[in-house]
Amino acid sequence: MGFALTFFARRLGQGVLIVLLVSFTIFALLRVVPGDPARIILGPMATDEVLEQTARDMGLRDPIPLQYMRYLGQVAKGDFGTSFIKAKGGGSMGGGRDEARGERARVLDLVAETLPLTLQLAGLALVFTALIALPLGIAGGLMAGRWPDKLALYASSIFVSLPNFWLAIVLALVVTAKLGWIPSIGYQNIAYAILPAFVIAIEMSPLFIRSLSVSIADTMRHPFVELAQVRGLSPRRIFSHHVLRNAAVPVLNLFGVQIGALLGGVLVVEYIFDYPGFGLLTVQAVLQRDFPVIQGIAIISTSIFVVINILVDFVSAQIDPRIEY
Amino acid sequence: MAASIDEPAAIAATAVAATPGRRMWLATWSQTEFKIGLVLFLLLVGTAFIYPLLSDIDPTKLSVRERFLPPVFLEGGTWAHPLGTDQLGRDLFVRSLVGLQNALMISVAVVVLMFAFGATVGLVAGYRGGWIDTILMRLTDAQLSIPLIILAIIILTVSRPTPFSVIVVLALAGWPVYARVTRSVTLAERRREYVRGAKILGASDSRIMWLLIAPNILPPIAFVAVLDIARMMIFEAILGFIGIGIQPPTPTFGTIIADGRKYLINAWWIATMPGGFLFLTLLSVNLMGAALERARNRLLRGTI
Repeated sequence: MGFALTFFARRLGQGVLIVLLVSFTIFALLRVVPGDPARIILGPMATDEVLEQTARDMGLRDPIPLQYMRYLGQVAKGDFGTSFIKAKGGGSMGGGRDEARGERARVLDLVAETLPLTLQLAGLALVFTALIALPLGIAGGLMAGRWPDKLALYASSIFVSLPNFWLAIVLALVVTAKLGWIPSIGYQNIAYAILPAFVIAIEMSPLFIRSLSVSIADTMRHPFVELAQVRGLSPRRIFSHHVLRNAAVPVLNLFGVQIGALLGGVLVVEYIFDYPGFGLLTVQAVLQRDFPVIQGIAIISTSIFVVINILVDFVSAQIDPRIEY
Repeated sequence: MAASIDEPAAIAATAVAATPGRRMWLATWSQTEFKIGLVLFLLLVGTAFIYPLLSDIDPTKLSVRERFLPPVFLEGGTWAHPLGTDQLGRDLFVRSLVGLQNALMISVAVVVLMFAFGATVGLVAGYRGGWIDTILMRLTDAQLSIPLIILAIIILTVSRPTPFSVIVVLALAGWPVYARVTRSVTLAERRREYVRGAKILGASDSRIMWLLIAPNILPPIAFVAVLDIARMMIFEAILGFIGIGIQPPTPTFGTIIADGRKYLINAWWIATMPGGFLFLTLLSVNLMGAALERARNRLLRGTI
């Protein structure tokens, strides 16, 4: 237990640092670049005096570190601010001073609405990835140098070469528009998540196929596998108790690293399929320069990444006691 | 008997004589996948750089009378426009080829830049150790935890996308991986005999890093960077697709496919044909990259 406590305390401390670093970078970046938030809120018609007054009221003319500290103070109270653009009931708001700020959607609400849909998509994508990568990767690793190995190599080369946005368009065209098998544009029910999840799975699986087949092939070369055969263990038992357990660690670590890529894939795929999740929210926020939403998303997505990586390292250490962190 | 004793010695002698880079190259060349990829790649790239010079079709010329011409294998297609034409009557074959030129030049520049930066950071962090290492590695951690694509989109939306800024942004987003790999190899290399020997002889730290360690560890990492050329081509296309990559009228895969998406139901070839072209290019690069990666794994295991 002592190990677990110190482990989590240390890693969470580092994680908080990372989240702060990332959020400050994005915060500063958004303040340095051209494109005045006050102008975005007020619209192109506002006079310069009104613009300057609003900017001052919002604290946009204070030094960046001061603005950041103020923002952090609000975040600590659970207030991520309100969107510049999105209205409470959905839809976007035009510029104009008359609209009360209270009507704008809260960032936290926007995230709470979209995150479950994205988690559903990501979960389904991981299931598909496992269905594709496990058989190919394990067969390729156990029969290194023979046809399953070659099959795994060529399959992963083809998958990794399919641009996700292009594959998404082709599938939407063929499966949804021409054949009418699976609905995909927009969102009504879980069926709308199948094609997007499949595209993400195709994008993710090559890395897992390779990592699995390489680590299984490496593990099979260890003397303990031969020893297990001498001890008279069945091939099935050797595989499930010895090989898979040892080969799982690199694959698990890869999963931690890939969370970032998974988020990136989700972003593009949600944008193309118009799937109203976290990724679509991100793309819209960035394209509309909706700064509070971008900042909130940066903090939340980085936190998710950090937590998953801590869990991955913890589970790795549980599987393989030789690992130290 | 004598021959069988001499043989291992002879092999060992050649293995010692060949540099790691050369051994890796030989192991790569012996794989069929590499040759398939190379032939496909040379074919595509050769066409991309030569055909537009020979053809008198301008990739940006509009032609109202030739709008929405289907590819040659469909009814109504002609050999004058083998992949058909788009909504403005521009030839899709030539546009794809010019798009391929742009994608290649950009992604190669990106990979060179991020390799140089990442390898430098990794080398310094791994060799110096201590607080420099801690700071540099926490920075890479932080950068790795923002999805590359989000970072690129944020920077490119708030600044004006030009070929130069696209290259810098993609390189900025991709360097941490190289920093990590280089650092871990440097950590191991630092403890080797020759480094300690050089230190005792009084070589300066920068001399050891750049003239002794770097030539030993960087070639295998550089070879695998080929895989990232493909990855960066996809990212460049995604940026163009969202509308924040290199701007029209310069043809890129992303902008062609984004345009074609609006006419998907009636003229499906506009979006799909250039994408197929991109897929073949990526496949050729990835086949070569996979062979290089395998060779490197064997090099690291010490079996070649």
